[in-house]
Amino acid sequence: MSDPVPLKTDHPGQVASATLPAPGRSRRLSDRGLAVAFTSPALLLLLAMSVFPLLWALYLSFTDYSATRGGPAHFIGFGNYTAILTSAQVHQRALTTLIYVFGAVGLQTVLGFTIAYLISRRTHGRGLLTTLFLVPMMLSPVVVGLFWRFMLDAQFGVVNSMLGSVGLGQVEWLTRQRTALISLIVVDTWQWTPFIMLIALAGLSAVPKYLYEAASIDRASEWFRFRTITLPLVWPLLLIAVLFRAIEAFRLFDLVYILTSGGPGVSTETLSFHVYKVAFLGFNTGTASAYGILMVLVVIVLTQLYLRYLNKLKEG
Amino acid sequence: MLLVATTAAACGDGQDDGTKVSAPKAPATIPELTKDPQTLSFIWFDWPPAHALEAFANAEYKKERPNATIKVNTVPNANWHDAMFTQFAARKTDFDIAILDSQHIGEAVTNGSILDLTDFVKNNIEVSAYNPYLLAAYGQFPQAETGKRDENASLYGLPLLGDTWTMIYRKDLIGDKPPQTWDEMISVAERCQADNPGVSGLAFHQANGSDAAAVTYNTVNGVYGGNLWDAKNRKIDGVLNDTAGQEAMDVLVNKMKPLTAKGSGNWFIDEVNAAVAQGKACIAFNWIAASGGLLDPKQSTLGTTRKQILDKLGFATLPSQKTNLVPLGGMGMHVSAYSSKANQAEALNFMKWFERADVQKKWAAAGGVPSRTDALESPEFLNAGPFNQVYTDSVPRMRDMWNVPEYARLVNIENTNVNAALNGAKKPKDALDDIAKEQQGVLDSSSRKGGGGL
Repeated sequence: MSDPVPLKTDHPGQVASATLPAPGRSRRLSDRGLAVAFTSPALLLLLAMSVFPLLWALYLSFTDYSATRGGPAHFIGFGNYTAILTSAQVHQRALTTLIYVFGAVGLQTVLGFTIAYLISRRTHGRGLLTTLFLVPMMLSPVVVGLFWRFMLDAQFGVVNSMLGSVGLGQVEWLTRQRTALISLIVVDTWQWTPFIMLIALAGLSAVPKYLYEAASIDRASEWFRFRTITLPLVWPLLLIAVLFRAIEAFRLFDLVYILTSGGPGVSTETLSFHVYKVAFLGFNTGTASAYGILMVLVVIVLTQLYLRYLNKLKEG
Repeated sequence: MLLVATTAAACGDGQDDGTKVSAPKAPATIPELTKDPQTLSFIWFDWPPAHALEAFANAEYKKERPNATIKVNTVPNANWHDAMFTQFAARKTDFDIAILDSQHIGEAVTNGSILDLTDFVKNNIEVSAYNPYLLAAYGQFPQAETGKRDENASLYGLPLLGDTWTMIYRKDLIGDKPPQTWDEMISVAERCQADNPGVSGLAFHQANGSDAAAVTYNTVNGVYGGNLWDAKNRKIDGVLNDTAGQEAMDVLVNKMKPLTAKGSGNWFIDEVNAAVAQGKACIAFNWIAASGGLLDPKQSTLGTTRKQILDKLGFATLPSQKTNLVPLGGMGMHVSAYSSKANQAEALNFMKWFERADVQKKWAAAGGVPSRTDALESPEFLNAGPFNQVYTDSVPRMRDMWNVPEYARLVNIENTNVNAALNGAKKPKDALDDIAKEQQGVLDSSSRKGGGGL
């Protein structure tokens, strides 16, 4: 085999490196073939684990199939969809989910952005502070749910113990209708505010310094600088973080399962928790599939509307 | 998980031929057992009897079958039903013996998930050695009438662990003699709470998971003369919420709940035990099989020795009122229809061994609650725990819930509504009427064509 010959470039004195085919490469495998060979395992996995089950669930959603009762699946048209959309139980869970999503994501956005803004103004210990704030996000939701369950216990929990030490009475955090939902929002906020903070911090770091310098020369106030420079530049990035969090919050299951089991009664049952009950208590697989598909559709439609708004914002 | 289960069901060689699936029959005699190393797997929820069973079976069964190892797989109580039935749905189980609550039998039988043991029991089990209702409760389907056994009905399981509620009371606070009627129990608890600041009058199951709050209501319902349903006509609405049912709900929410600790609206077995062990309750109700830990000085603030604890704690059968009914707890052993033939044979051999008179007494001595009458009346059992006499005395008083395929949905409706009433999210009467109406809807829709509903 001969030595590689340096290729000439337009610039004298510069030598471009030449990439020759690997010595043992089969001539029959084209670049396209290689690409297919490398991507097909992942594609097959995706088809088997995501696309096929999704299509299968779509098919089941039009049937009366039950995974445990067996027997053939009878086609019942849009029966499952009609039952879900007209059910008062579903409307109640949808309202609970909506309150939860707005409450949790709203609180997380305000807190996350505030913390990011304060951290971005520090010159010392920024890295350490950021790392510390990120810890809750790295924990499993089940672990978070369990230790908050202990902390919020009305009799033995540390939260009520602290309230007691300052002369306040016991609060039934997880067993009263209003406080149970608030507790869920607080715990979710504790865990996921760092996510918003992280993205906001990235946005704040990307704001060009010269804009602030120019504003300083014009003797602009702190509030004016925040309102006209910081917020407009960070806003689009923040909205993407809100989108991710809203989708996640819409699917909330684990915290509800651990903290309240949907109680008291069904007052903290979210849509996902309800789907779980339909699927695994009643084993009404067809109905549960339709319920799941409807939830996916709601997320897709709302995300599309949101992305359009984001695009408009960018164009503006 | 649902998708995996449905896909597996769809792709499996199942018996989905459009006809109603019935449970396959177990052989009448035990097939030849393998001499190779064999692991017999159980599935149960995580509580002391599960660990006791594994230790007991590995110590004793190995003497008969040295090549067999017993593994009791456990899941959290709240996942117990799902863990078993999602595997049944996939027509493939990683357990050979499912330990089912009596109320799960209907669902498992109609789906063909467990073996019909009728012929096996006839040839291998001494049925006359049991209280007929205990044998029926843990194996018979369709469900037996309370207190009886239909000898023509099929059996799908055998008793593993008997259980019922015991009343746990503080002898040092209310005296040695336990209250005899439910009304007396409430007034004693009220007085005890008033006399002992920081100690609540009552502690009982109120959570909305598993069957916690439902069993509590059903117990009070039974004591006050109510009925859960008219099994013959499959009628709940108008039966559960009749006058007796309303009175029971009123007693539970308006008389008993105010005597419980603040925030106890999500308490189940462990929380009630913790309250008793920490001296925070005058009277408590819990399952006997879960009460052993109360006598452990390491877990209790009531004394540094078992004797000191027993000087303060008393165990008694439930007080009666209009009737003397108590809840039937405990579980039976059921052979998975999807287990291999060799493992099914081993499972049948284990069950035959376990139901022997001598083994039942050893099980009693190891901390289990047997079901054979001779074992229940044996000194091995009665001396093993201070609450064991309570169980023996309670056997003729037991009543079960509904053993129908729709059980999981029925109990969820009751749990959530009773929990709502106990925690002020619903008025007691509304909660009871909602239970009756929704449960009736589930029973009525089960025979209707369609998607099964929500």
